Formats: sequence, structure tokens, C-alpha cells
Amino acid sequence: MLTVLEANVRKVVIERRRYLPNTISLVVTFYVIFLAMFLGISVIGDPATAEANLRFAIVGNAFWFLLLMGVSSMGWELTTEATRGTLEQLAMSPIGLRAILAARMVGTLLVNLVITSAMLVLTMLTAGQWLSFDLPLLAVILAPTFVAVVGLGYAVAGLALVFKQIDALLQVLQFVFLGFAFVPLSVAPWLELAPVVKGIDMIRAALIEGVTLSAFGPRDWASLVLNAAVYLALGLLAFALAERRARARGLMGQY
Amino acid sequence: MHAVHTGAATTAPVSSAPVNDAIVVDGLTKTYPARGRSDPAVTAVDGVGFRVERGALVGLLGPNGAGKTTTVKALCGLITPDAGVLSVAGIDVRRHRSQALRHLAAVLEGNRNLYWRLTARENLTYFAGNRGMPRRSVAKRIDELLERFDLGAKRDALVSSLSRGMQQKLALAVAALAGTDVVLLDEPTLGLDVETGYEVRALLREMQREGRTVIVSTHDMPVVQDLCERTVVIAHGRVLVDDRVDHLMRLFASRAYQVELGAPLSGAQIEALRRRLMHVHVVDDGLRVQVELAKGDDLYALIDVLREGATPIESLDRRVIDFETVFRRLVKDGAPNGDATREAVIDADAQLESARSRLRA
Repeated sequence: MLTVLEANVRKVVIERRRYLPNTISLVVTFYVIFLAMFLGISVIGDPATAEANLRFAIVGNAFWFLLLMGVSSMGWELTTEATRGTLEQLAMSPIGLRAILAARMVGTLLVNLVITSAMLVLTMLTAGQWLSFDLPLLAVILAPTFVAVVGLGYAVAGLALVFKQIDALLQVLQFVFLGFAFVPLSVAPWLELAPVVKGIDMIRAALIEGVTLSAFGPRDWASLVLNAAVYLALGLLAFALAERRARARGLMGQY
Repeated sequence: MHAVHTGAATTAPVSSAPVNDAIVVDGLTKTYPARGRSDPAVTAVDGVGFRVERGALVGLLGPNGAGKTTTVKALCGLITPDAGVLSVAGIDVRRHRSQALRHLAAVLEGNRNLYWRLTARENLTYFAGNRGMPRRSVAKRIDELLERFDLGAKRDALVSSLSRGMQQKLALAVAALAGTDVVLLDEPTLGLDVETGYEVRALLREMQREGRTVIVSTHDMPVVQDLCERTVVIAHGRVLVDDRVDHLMRLFASRAYQVELGAPLSGAQIEALRRRLMHVHVVDDGLRVQVELAKGDDLYALIDVLREGATPIESLDRRVIDFETVFRRLVKDGAPNGDATREAVIDADAQLESARSRLRA
């Protein structure tokens, strides 16, 4: 499995590096979106809450990017692979399509984490607001959050496998993820049931308010882990059903 | 003959299959469900069965929509059949797909099976990684393969910049790198120029010499005639014939004759020939007639018609027949009539000599 992971991480890195202008334009787009938020908060917003709002925008923007890249890219990639004819080659691997996709998602997330980190620094520089980085704590919260992202990625990949043309859904997902990344649980507690929202909320608390590991209660951790486990299981189930349907209907190589 | 009796489909394990068979397909049936009213359900294959011995190079032939691709994809585990047994190297593909795929590599879409944004070497490394082969352990083998497939100078070139022939060879190299017992190829020479087509044929022969079992699904008749020992012809979702290529060639050649005449055939004679023989083609204003016989004895019918009209016979010879003609006849007229025609092949030379003697007499 490590070999598959290495192969897929290398592929993602090679493609990002080879198509650097594309990667840069992606980062610039999100930076411009952040600048719009920054201007809005600075010019129109309440000056008393501007600092907190800016920090909120920095974190929200970074996680919106990460979610979009981690989940939607699976849909785009699978559709592209089906069009190119490489999907069948992946599906014929004795390792299995599910494992290859997991490796691809992890690779995509790791590469995007590096890009997001650079983007975070850039936005912090622009806003003049510095977040508190407790790296071990961030790693502990990010790990289960990413597990939930992988679950979502599987669900989207499954839909792409069966329906192929899911562009409209991916467009809608952008706005759903915008909500996940920006709406705090204090405003909409029921969103705790939604994927990754609990994780983003905890990361926000750690980055903006400087909340420490011990300050999070057992309920927070239980909710985070359970959320990740449930969405990974649901994603895997959705993908397994989609894969079975695709093999039954001969859709694996069709576009 | 290697044809498998395809009675009731069964999903029994194939562990009892002789170890000599690299591929076993038995009772393969697949109907694709309807996709709306305008796109009804389609039965792609209906009881397809054949076996392929280890180390053989076999051609899978058939017109468009015959069921070749469904058969190949079912063997690759890409399509789940409704019924039937599929085994690769004695492993049931339906029950143990991952294990079976360890013994099988396939090139299904030729140059489309590659990542065009990666280099030749990166493609090989990536696909090897996805089969669990570590990068370092395959590095040397990749270099060897690139040289062997005449891609050494292009190892660091993006696939998008390679010619179609080079892309095709790279796709073959990916399959070769997998090191599997069985290699399945769908249209490996499609769209290639003559020279590259020959190179690909040579590479396939080399794969076979290495002990691999190679199955080529193609429309390219010269490839089958030149490369394959055996062919399985599929039409309308069923196996039409499963036989040695040279045997089919002899079988059909033994029935194809050309007669040069001293006087043109009359209309009544032409009608009589068409009534009594399978394929009659009259050329040169009736001075030459080309016939294909359903059975050896029909040669006498031909002579009888000519004798009845007192038509002088200048010469009577076998006609050179290519595999394309054999294929067209198979698809149009159906499978040859087993033992009877087989005997006709054996006796063909004797029959021709006998006919000539009768003519002389």
C-alpha cells in the first residue's frame, strides 16, 4: 500500500509542478477571493470585530480551498480518467481501484496542504493578522478531518463513476463547502452532523483563539472521530455500490 | 478444436480446470440493461466459451458488436457477467478478481491507456507502483523495456509529444512491465503505419516467446493470419468457430477454385451453378468462373454443369485465399460443418487430382 501511496503522491506532485501556471492561477483565485473578503471586512465591517473577522476569513478561506481541492478534484479526476481511457487501467490493478483512489486523495490532500500553508502565510501577511500555530494539535485535529474528506471524496468519485457528467453537482458543492468552511457551530449547532464542520470548528478555535489540546473536552474529540468514521464508512459504501453498478453496466470505461 | 461446450452456465469454481489453460471462458452471458425507451437492453454475449492454453497466441475476431470487447472486459474484471465461468491462470475472476488480475495485464484502449501529461518513464513507474511494484526495484527493468521497445531516446518525453506508434509501444511496455502470465490486447495495431504495425507484431511474438499467453482482439486480418496460431471468431454474441488459423485457411482454400473456360458459360449454366454451389463469381464475360464449394463433392457438380454444356475447360486451379475472405465467409455463412469439411481438407488434393483425371478422360 505504501508503494501505491508513493506512486500517487509522486504523480500529483509531478503534475502540479509540470503545470505550475495552472497551480499558481488556482492559488491566485483563492487569494483574490480572500482580498475581496479582506476589503469587505476592513471597509464595510464593524471596526470593533474586524480583527476577529479577518482571522475567521483567513481560516475559512484556507479550508474552503482544501475541501474543494480534496473532494471536488476526485470528481474531476475520475471523469477525466474515464475520458482519457486510464480509468480502466486503474480498475484492472490487483491493488484495487478503492486503494488507488485513497492514495490519490491522500496525495492530493498532502500537496494541497503545502499550498494551503503558503496561502495562509500570504493571507496573514496581507491582513497583518497572525494565527497561533500549535502544530501537534493541528495535526491531531486535521487527521480525522481529512478522513472525513476522503469519505466525501469516495462519494463524489462513486457518482462520477456511474454518472460521469457531474459538473453541475460539483458546482453546487462549491457553495455547500463554502458553508461548511465559514459557518461556525455556535451559529448553527446542527452542522456538527455535517462532514468536516466539527474539525474545521476545532481548528478555528485553535488557530484564532489559541485553544489548547487540553481545552477540548471528550465530547469534542468523540464528535470529531465519530464524524470522520461515519463519513468515511458512508463514502466507502457509496463507492462500493457505484463500483458494483459500473461493473454491472459496463460503465467503467465509458464516458 | 478448443471450443468449450456452452450449455447451462455455471458459477462453480474452476480449480478443476486443467493447469495447462491460461484462460477459460465458459457460458459467458451478459445483457446490458436498458437505458430508457430509446436504448433497449442488449445481449452482448450469450454463452461464449473457449479455452486458451498457456503460452499460446490467440486471435479474438468478430465484426463490430459481436461481443469481443465484452468478453475481454469481463476477463479483466471490468464487467460483471450475468452468468458464466471466467478464469485466468486457474483463478476464478468473478470470485477472486484481485488474485486473477495479478496474472493478467491488458491494453484495451491503446495509446489512450496512458497519462499524456507524464513522460514515458513516469508512466511506467506510475503503473508499476499501482501494481505494488516499488519504484527502485523496477527502475532497471523500466530502462531495459524502454530500450527493447525502442523508446530509450524518448524516455523523458511527454507522452503527448510521442507519435501514435510510440504511444502504442509504450502501452505494450506497461503491460510487459507487469510481468503477468496473460496479456490481453484490444486492437493493438489500430491506426498504426505499416512499419510500426510490424514492430508491434514482433513485440507480441517476443512476449509469446517469453512464455506469456497473448490474446489479441482485432479487426486486422493480416495480424491474425501472420501472428496467431489459433482464432476464436465471435459473431452475434456466440462463438462461431474456434480453430487453428492455418487449418481454417486450408479449409477455405481447399474449396476455392478458379476455372478458365474455352467458351463462355450460358445463362442456364450460370443459373445451374448458382443453384448448386455456394459462391459463384463469373468474370471475363463468362470465360472465367470462381467458385467456393460447401463440400469437396461439389467440385464434381461444377464439372457436371460444364460437361452438360460441353464447355471446354482450359484450366482448373485452386484460388489463393486470404484470411479476410475466410473471416467474411465465416461471418456470412456460419461455421464450417465440423468433421465433414475437415475430411474435405484432408482429401482436397486427391479430389482436385481426381477431378482433373475425369476432365482428361
